[in-house]
Amino acid sequence: MTREISVELQDVVKVYDTTKVVDGVNLSIEKGEIFVLIGPSGCGKTTTLKMINQLIPHTSGNILVNGMNVKELDAVELRRSIGYVIQYIGLLPHLTIEENITFVLQLIRRPKKEQKKRAHELIETVGLPASYLKRHPRELSGGQQQRIGVARALAGDPEILLMDEPFGAVDPLTREQLQNELLRLQETIQKTIVFVTHDIQEAFKVGNRIGIMRNGKMASVGNAMELVKNEDEFVRSFVGQGAIFDALDNIPVKRVMENDIPNVREGEPFKLKTAMNGWENIIVLDQNGAGVGYVSLEDVGPDGVIPAGAVRPLLPGCSPDLSIKKAVEQMLYGGRTWLPVASPENVFEGIVTFQACAGLLSREAG
Amino acid sequence: MEVFADAFTYLIARREYVLATLTDHFMLVIWATFFVILIGVPLGIIISRTNRLQELVLGSVGILYTIPILALLGFLIPIMGIGTRPALIALVIYGLLPVVRNTCVGISQVPAMTKEAALGMGANNLQLLFKVEIPLTFPVIFAGIRTAMVMTFSLATYAVFIGAGGMGSIIMRGMRTYNTGMLLAGIIMVVITTVLLDRVVGFIDNRVQKKFSLAD
Ligand SMILES: Nc1ncnc2c1ncn2[C@@H]1O[C@H](COP(=O)(O)OP(=O)(O)O)[C@@H](O)[C@H]1O
Ligand SMILES: [Mg+2]
Repeated sequence: MTREISVELQDVVKVYDTTKVVDGVNLSIEKGEIFVLIGPSGCGKTTTLKMINQLIPHTSGNILVNGMNVKELDAVELRRSIGYVIQYIGLLPHLTIEENITFVLQLIRRPKKEQKKRAHELIETVGLPASYLKRHPRELSGGQQQRIGVARALAGDPEILLMDEPFGAVDPLTREQLQNELLRLQETIQKTIVFVTHDIQEAFKVGNRIGIMRNGKMASVGNAMELVKNEDEFVRSFVGQGAIFDALDNIPVKRVMENDIPNVREGEPFKLKTAMNGWENIIVLDQNGAGVGYVSLEDVGPDGVIPAGAVRPLLPGCSPDLSIKKAVEQMLYGGRTWLPVASPENVFEGIVTFQACAGLLSREAG
Repeated sequence: MEVFADAFTYLIARREYVLATLTDHFMLVIWATFFVILIGVPLGIIISRTNRLQELVLGSVGILYTIPILALLGFLIPIMGIGTRPALIALVIYGLLPVVRNTCVGISQVPAMTKEAALGMGANNLQLLFKVEIPLTFPVIFAGIRTAMVMTFSLATYAVFIGAGGMGSIIMRGMRTYNTGMLLAGIIMVVITTVLLDRVVGFIDNRVQKKFSLAD
């Protein structure tokens, strides 16, 4: 399986005076993934990010964007093709929200009508009312300004988004909300996102893969579970005690959900399938597909008739987006080793087992 | 108080002449302001980019600013003769300082973060200047223009010494002929019009500051 590479860094070095602030970084960022750059303050995250759109020229090495060497591209054109969400938001204070959102479109002289239309689309995308378009940045709260920062970066419909601590300046509650919105948005827009943060929780939550930086070098690259299990002392100390729970708190149930579970509609006879995949239980669904209970295979009568008394209640279904940590909690409180998973419309989707959760560690790393 | 009566009589009797000096005076100031903006704003922008040039230019403009006007006018006569042109040049020299300084300071104070945001979006240098730096600095630049305009208006009273007319002519004639009514008439004209101009430009300035204060 070869994935398309959107951004590639080859031995990239940035020297200021005599210090190497970025020191031989190699990185392949796949199309459509959220790649998180994390590390202590001053380790070179922002510098690395800004070299991708050449706000900072690199000293040596190669940076490829969609296979093209950035040194051979016009820097202004390159930046117009890449969305950029700046650290501390950086909305232009003299412009209205609408003018801020459409700034890139103004730079490339798109028709006024198109700009207006795009501003209305995008403010809706980031969940703010269209009436805000006429306001100025200082009339918005920090969280709202962050949303505008994201909308502005999306205006030119770039394939790649660079986000430098985009949710750094807001309170924890708002931050969580913004992270959720970003993940939901990403499901539809499928951009390649390079996301800088210094918050490991945020990294676990939004990152498909995470690169930990230290003193300008890439200390480790991997997904949440790989980092949690990393033996390197710096990575361990950075990821922190109890990191495994932090990671599990940020991995959704859908990643370990089993969805090929034998089931039957209420009142209908159950036809024994040849492939039961070792399942001993059958889920009973109502006419709308919502889980109502489960019945052991042994209790199913001849001809597949299910005796009414044999159906046992299910635990309340959890959302596929629920974190694994919370799902395990619900199992422990409910005294079961598995939970049904249901869509927001309460349609049964599958189950998540304690075993699958526990197996995550070995499987993810495999 | 007889002298006041004389002054008003003079103003009414010689209204055409008074009006002509007023027009000359205004035209001189408007042209001076025009050139001050034309030279001062770009100069302020250019020197805001380099520290060394900034010190040099602000230093020299500052020194020019401290030369007494009569000395400067006297200095210009052997070079340019008399008339409107040397007067205009003198006024421009005095008006430059506030405009150059304000433009330079204003542009330098645009937050690096704001500029970086614009560059990161893909603004080129001209777009950065015209879409971000100048609009953000406009209130500061305008305050400099206001100062320059009011100052040159008051300094234009001396233009008469170099044969460029203006309301100084009334005062000058009054002095020469020991005509105190005429002298006072000139003084009244200068004081009233300066105060009026200051008020009008100040009013516009306040509107500008208010409109742009949303920017902070
Ligand atoms: N313009 C510059 N000149 C010299 N050193 C710089 C400059 N910009 C950043 N640095 C240094 O480079 C290092 C990395 O900075 P940065 O990439 O901003 O770190 P991070 O985003 O990880 O906090 C820091 O030690 C910083 O002091
Ligand atoms: Mg940074």
